[in-house]
Amino acid sequence: MNTLDPGPLGDPAPGTPVPAEKGVLIGDEERAEALAAPAAPAGRRARRDGAEASAQPGVATTGDPSQPVVRIRGLRKSFGDLEVLHGIDLDVHAGEHVVLFGPSGSGKSTVLRSINLLEEPNSGSVCVDGVEYGPGLPGEEPAKRGKPIELRRKVGMVFQQFNLFPHLTALENVALPLRSVKGMKADDASRKAAESLRQVGLLQRAAHYPGQLSGGQQQRVAIARALSQDPKVMLFDEPTSALDPELVGEVLRVMHELAEAGMTMVVVTHELGFAREIGDLNVFMDAGVVVETGSSELFDHPTDPRCQDFMRAVR
Amino acid sequence: MGITSYDWGLIWDYRSELLHGLLTALEVSVVALLVSVVAGLGLAMVRLGKKPFSWIAAIYINVFRGMPALVTVIWIYFGVSLVVGINFTVFQAGVIALSLLYSAFMAEIFRSALQAVPHGHREAGQALGMRDTRIFVSVVAPQAFKIALPNVGSMFIGMIKDTSTFTVIGLLEVVRVVQNVNAQTFQPFVLYTAAAAIYVLVAFAVDLLFRVGEGAFSTPPKGAVSQLLRGRKQRRIEALVAELA
Repeated sequence: MNTLDPGPLGDPAPGTPVPAEKGVLIGDEERAEALAAPAAPAGRRARRDGAEASAQPGVATTGDPSQPVVRIRGLRKSFGDLEVLHGIDLDVHAGEHVVLFGPSGSGKSTVLRSINLLEEPNSGSVCVDGVEYGPGLPGEEPAKRGKPIELRRKVGMVFQQFNLFPHLTALENVALPLRSVKGMKADDASRKAAESLRQVGLLQRAAHYPGQLSGGQQQRVAIARALSQDPKVMLFDEPTSALDPELVGEVLRVMHELAEAGMTMVVVTHELGFAREIGDLNVFMDAGVVVETGSSELFDHPTDPRCQDFMRAVR
Repeated sequence: MGITSYDWGLIWDYRSELLHGLLTALEVSVVALLVSVVAGLGLAMVRLGKKPFSWIAAIYINVFRGMPALVTVIWIYFGVSLVVGINFTVFQAGVIALSLLYSAFMAEIFRSALQAVPHGHREAGQALGMRDTRIFVSVVAPQAFKIALPNVGSMFIGMIKDTSTFTVIGLLEVVRVVQNVNAQTFQPFVLYTAAAAIYVLVAFAVDLLFRVGEGAFSTPPKGAVSQLLRGRKQRRIEALVAELA
């Protein structure tokens, strides 16, 4: 069998409208069977109104629900002599979907990568779910330094290049961090991994290696891998930029369902149509600063000239 | 005179001596291979690590990559005995010399293999909250091992060939056996041709062995060996899928 062929799972054609079953995070035909047994996805259900959210596992805050899940203060970052972020402030609240967009080199990916400390801040601090890290603001007491690994375990990340481990099957890609980070037993980890794959509609691909999967399928496995860690916030770094056009839809659909289910998300993307659909807070960046923020209105009526130029260029 | 005096039957007459020489060469090489793989991996990690230590590793690598096997084994067998007073057996001296030389080559093989693993895979591990040692053991090392394997095979063939220089300290390997037999029979052409054939045949065998090894680690699994190694795992996953579907 051609391993790239979706086969019996038959991914719908791109552009297929996204079904609106709230709180069920399923990629394709497996939706029906999962609806029959709704136990698995319910744990990740969250609502922006917060009341129900704090009672659910895997949902935004452990402490005060009014506190943002992610708080970035005065973030500065330099590569060598070149400062690429000139002081960024950003709050992401539970259940909120933040879209970072702007021209390449504007620093949006660096902001995203700073949230889970893949980039070490030179100044300012990052705080995720009460764990703060960073040298703090100049003239201020240094921020209380949590352990980076502790902070990273609260954050899920999806990369442009998928970054699946090629020597492991799809199932093992998801199960490995469950074992080594969550300390689960092999059998429990495999079961949870299989459930996560089911959520993205790839249960039937569990025994496949990344090389046997299409780009869209690989990215969905990567999403399942990050989700299975029960993160407080999911970061997406241009998740569809490396995909062939016909594969973009299936990944956006999974992300859309994740957003519908109330996951807190920060997304760097050039898919402004998608951004318009899910973005609660849209952040336009240019040359290492936040230029303008707003709701979806920002895409139609930008006020800053740089944002206006950018919107004209991409239209 | 001439062609008629070539006595090819000598190879058969002295087969047990030749075979014994080959076994000695293989024993020295296999022990040295194990030592130099472990030492080379350690050296590669130091070489990629923090500064004063990485320089020391770089110096070691460049010194021993540059040293001829003949010089090294003389240095170990006679030099160490003279200067430090430690007397190694010829077997020990051979293993030590080969290990010193080839850990330097292995270090470079492993360094390039470790660097060939995409940085994004490390980052993915970090982003998932995995510890650095876990990322190395479960993500980087298995991929690097696969990349390094063919070159390790080539190095092993080189090691077996380099044992021929240990004839100088009297190790009874293939060339030494050939010299001894030649001293009695005066058939250098026949005997050295036999030696060459032995080395070439061994090279083919080693190549085959490492090819099987490569196949065993291919993804998706290809061939009988990898099926044997990973078929059970594959079936377990498929059973789990069938159960949950």
